[in-house]
Parts: sequence; C-alpha cells; structure tokens
Amino acid sequence: MRRSIAAAAIVLRKELRDALRDRRTLMTVLVSAVLMGPLVLLAISGLVASLEARAEQREVVVSGIAKAPTLRNYFERQTYVVKEAPPDFETQLRRSTLHDPVVVVPDDFEAALVRGDVPVVEIVSDSANQRAEASTARIERLLGGFSRERALLSLALRGVSAQLLEPMEIEDRDLASTQTRATRITGMLPFFVMMAVLYGALNAALDTTAGERERGSLEPLLMNPAERWALVAGKWGAVVCVSVLIAVLSCFSFLPGQWVLRSDTLQAMFQYGPREAGLFILLLLPLAAALAAVLMAVAIRSRTFKEAQASSMIIVLAVSLLPLVNVFDLGGEAPWHLWTPALAQNALMTRVLKGESLDVWQILIPLGVCAALTAVGVWSVARQLHQAAVK
Amino acid sequence: MIEVRALAKSFAVPSQRGIVRKANDGNDAAATSTPRAGEDGRVHAVVDVHFDAPDGRITGLLGPNGAGKTTTLRMLAALIAPDAGTMRVDGIDVVARPRDVLARMGVLSDARGLYPRLTARENIVYYGELHGMGRDAAEARAVELARRFEMAPLLDRRAGGFSQGERMKTALCRALVHDPPNIVLDEPTNGLDVLATRALRDSLRWLRTPEGGAKCIVFSTHIMQEVERLCDGVVVVAHGRTVATGTVDELLAKTGQQDFEEAFVELAFAAERAAVGAPQ
Repeated sequence: MRRSIAAAAIVLRKELRDALRDRRTLMTVLVSAVLMGPLVLLAISGLVASLEARAEQREVVVSGIAKAPTLRNYFERQTYVVKEAPPDFETQLRRSTLHDPVVVVPDDFEAALVRGDVPVVEIVSDSANQRAEASTARIERLLGGFSRERALLSLALRGVSAQLLEPMEIEDRDLASTQTRATRITGMLPFFVMMAVLYGALNAALDTTAGERERGSLEPLLMNPAERWALVAGKWGAVVCVSVLIAVLSCFSFLPGQWVLRSDTLQAMFQYGPREAGLFILLLLPLAAALAAVLMAVAIRSRTFKEAQASSMIIVLAVSLLPLVNVFDLGGEAPWHLWTPALAQNALMTRVLKGESLDVWQILIPLGVCAALTAVGVWSVARQLHQAAVK
Repeated sequence: MIEVRALAKSFAVPSQRGIVRKANDGNDAAATSTPRAGEDGRVHAVVDVHFDAPDGRITGLLGPNGAGKTTTLRMLAALIAPDAGTMRVDGIDVVARPRDVLARMGVLSDARGLYPRLTARENIVYYGELHGMGRDAAEARAVELARRFEMAPLLDRRAGGFSQGERMKTALCRALVHDPPNIVLDEPTNGLDVLATRALRDSLRWLRTPEGGAKCIVFSTHIMQEVERLCDGVVVVAHGRTVATGTVDELLAKTGQQDFEEAFVELAFAAERAAVGAPQ
C-alpha cells in the first residue's frame, strides 16, 4: 500500500511537470480562461460608466429649438443644457456616432401651443443604438414634465385643484439588495470561473490518457510493477491540480479586475473579495475532481488526442450550457439543480455573490454527487487501462 | 531465465465490420498479415508457443509479421492474460504474480513512446522511480546507462526532438534502468539505421556476458541477419505456433539448407501449410 501511494506520488509529480512544460497550451488556457473574465467585466463596467455619465449629464439634443422658446425655457429651468442637433442626426444615430436621442420640434410648435392645439414632438432614437436608447426614457420623462406643467398651469388658471389631475401617487420600492441587483451584471462571473476549471482540466486529462496512447507510452508505462489504480490516481491528481491552479488564478483575477472598475455604482454593488474568491474555490474543488475523472474516462477510450477532443465535446457542451438554466431562470431554483454538477456550482456561486448564506445540504449534495462521479470515472479509467494500452 | 509452455491466446473479431482491426503501426495484438479467424469467429493469434530462454544467452523469437510474436511478448509482460499455458520468469508465474515478474524484467515493447516534454534523463529516472528505486540511484543508473549506450550528450535534451535511433536508445535505457536480470525486446531494430543497429547489437552482446550481468535476453524479429549474428538460440514462430527451436546451425542441419533464410522459409512455410489444414 505504501509503495502504491509512493508510485501515485511519482506519477503525479511527473504528470504535473509534463503539463506545466506544455507552455503553449497553458498560455492559451490562461488567456482564454483567466484573462477573459476580468476583461469582459472591464468592458461591461466601461459601458455602465458611460451610461451613468450620460444619465448625469443633463443634456438634451433638440432639432429646431429656436422655434420653441417655451420649451427651451422649461429645459433650462430643469438645469438641462440644450444642444442643437446636427443636421444629419438620423444617419449619426443609425451609425451610433450620436449617443443621445434627438427631440424634433415642429415648425409651428409655439403657435400650436398658444392655440391650444396639440403639437407633436418626436423623440428620435434607434433601438440598435444602445446608448441613445438608454437615454430615451429620461428625455420622455423630461418632456412629460413639460406637458404636466402646462396642464397644471391651465387648470390652476381655471381654479381646479392640481390633485384632481393626479388622484394617486406612484412610488417604486425595490426589494432586491444592492448585491442582488449587482448579480444581474456580475452573474456571468461563476460561468467564467467554471470555464477556467473545465479548460484547465480538459487538456491535461486528454494528454494523460489519449495522448499517452497516441504517443505509445501507455504500454511501456504498464510494464512497470506499479498498481493500476496508483497510476490512475497519480494521473487524476495531476489533472485536478492543473485544473484547480487555473481555477484559483481565475477566481483571484477578478480581484484586481474589480479595482479598475470604472463605474462607481458597479464597484459599490460588486461584492467580490478574498472571502468570495475562497468560497468559489471551495465550491469548485469537487467539480474539478469530477470533471478530471469523467474527462479521463471518456478520453482513455480514444486512440488519439483528436478523437478524444471530439468525444469530450459533449462534456464541454454540458458544462457550458447547464449554467444557462440559471441565467434564463427556467422555473427558478429547483431542488434538482443541486444534484446536477456545474449547474449546482453555478447556482451556489451566484448565491455567494448575492451575499446569501449556504446551508449544509447545499454544500453536501453537490459534494456527494461530484465524489460519486469521481469514483466512477477513476474506476472506469483503471479498468480500461490495460485494454487501451494494447489496442 | 524465462520458460514459456503451451501458450495460447485468441481475440474476438468485431465481426460486423468484417475486418480485423489494426493498430496504427499494424502491430496490433490481434493484427496479422493474414487474419486467421477460426470457425468460432475468433482470431487465434497464439496457438501453441513454447520456449526456454536461459540466463547469459540471447534467444531470438523469429517469425513473419503476424506470427504472434508481439502477442506472446505482451503476455509475458502481463499486459494481456493468456487463454492457456504457463509462463515463468526466474521461476515466478507471470499470471499469478505479475508485478514480481515485471520487477525482474526489462521490456522494450513494440510501443516505445517517450514523453516529449521530458528530457531523456527524466524519462529514464521516472521509470526507475516507478520500479521503486530512489531518485539518486535512478539518476546514477541513468548516467551509467547513457555512457554505456553512448548517449550521454542526449541526457538533458528533451525527447521531443530525438531521432528514431535516439528514441530507441532512450527507451532501452528506460527499460534497463532497474538492472533487470531478464530483458525482453520486441523488434528492437525497427526503424534503426545500420550504425544504431550495430550499436544495439554490441550492447546486447555485452549484456549477455558475465560483466554485463549475464542477462537472459529474448528478442523478437523477422530479420534473418540479426538472428544469425546475435542469437545463441532461435525459436521459429509461425501462425501462433513454435515450429522449430535450436541454434542457427541446428536449424540449418534440420532443413538441410546452406542459407538460413531458405531454412526459415521452409520451416515457416511448412507451418503455413499445416495451419491451412487441408491440401488444396
């Protein structure tokens, strides 16, 4: 037994050294899995920051403001800066070079207002132009305010109470905590971290099984007097180590990513510190173990690395697509989510981000499922090893 | 000392495909140049192989492609289980105590893949450690073997860029790292040029001597010259059977031929007719 454990340790050390020398693959995984998350976070924060800045800007772009002094007066009383729209504003909106919706005032605006007619004011935007679209509601509210003011003044002149016009008041009350709101934006974080685990495990798992077969090094390896399970355990351990290493890097890469968040609101909402990163890693450990074993079990049945890549695609797809159940919120959180690997980890990491606590079962069930998958995977590889070597 | 008696092994044929599956290099366990699927629908790769390989001698397993040499050696290395027969290495039964046998045997198998990202030294030391050697002992042994096989300058280069001959030498060092008393080589000169083949021959001759450890060496080949130049004893295998054993001279005398190649063809061809069973 002691000798087998020693053999497993020797295999683990060799496989780790081998995997870490595969610089090109490691770099690809690092760039795609570790840098991608923070970069996307950065991009989103840039977008949110620019939306916020626009919201605070208090600017309104109007075409034909010279013909509507009353409207200009109102805008200026609301401390808005009025800007004349460029003549080709429609083209600019379509090309997304103009980031504000344009208020188009008709020529006879003032005259119609005086006559008591209803002049038509257009808010021109392009629904494909996200930034302009984001400001449309604000401009609508602004113009609505103008209409209400005119109406109130007219009624007041006739001695009617302003309350008749607004028989009830509407107030918003949002039940979501700051963190819950933030998960709408940071919800993709667990997904990126899980991809890091998956891609970290993928190459190592394929190389240590199908790669070993393809190189013709599996047969000589089995001619060593080491127990089969010791060989498999060592290989599996190395794959888990590589996968967890990538996961740790990925989890911690969001920490500096957070410091450069450009949006203050997002920064305030985004509660991701070393504690969250640590919890993420704890939740991901069993998943890394299970993925390593399952990928190895699939790959050992393939003669070549390429064949193994094709057969492992189904696992890659499952791990990538399962979290979407959470994203699309299909029927809310159901008990079976906890029993499904990848989906469970995604749900639990989302809870961590929301600042909600995890109960014992929420940790034990996914842990048990992953442990069972690991055991089946490792057993299957050990069983298949001799057959794979000679085929 | 290796003793093999009445060894047999058959494989199921994936019949729906109607062909015998071949491995990438055509040396599949069940691969044969002429698939011999029997009436039971199985390929009988080894039917009755028997030989004795004493210590301090080189025993050649000679046979055409698909004769069952690789399958026999794989069974000897406990990689596949035989259907029938016994194999003993230094008196230890291979099936009953495979790991004890592997500890006393160095096998250069048909597949001799190295780890391309590891250096030759790391490749060799890895196997030494798996054989239970300490790291220092394995390192020292790697240096000693590298000197013996004239590959010292290769030791710290990664195996990825090695030539065929360099790979073979590294694989051989790897198989011998634990200084096994028994050495089994499956077609070791495959893909080697003349110089590398000569170097290998010299090494095997040395290993046979008392200074080299008086090893029991078994090697399979289909090349006549190698057998003539190297082997103390020859086992001719054809269609999964041992059809003749003896020294080169004894086999020549037995067939009444002057040329060993002619003698071999006669022995193997007679076996082929016997295997087909009935006269045409």
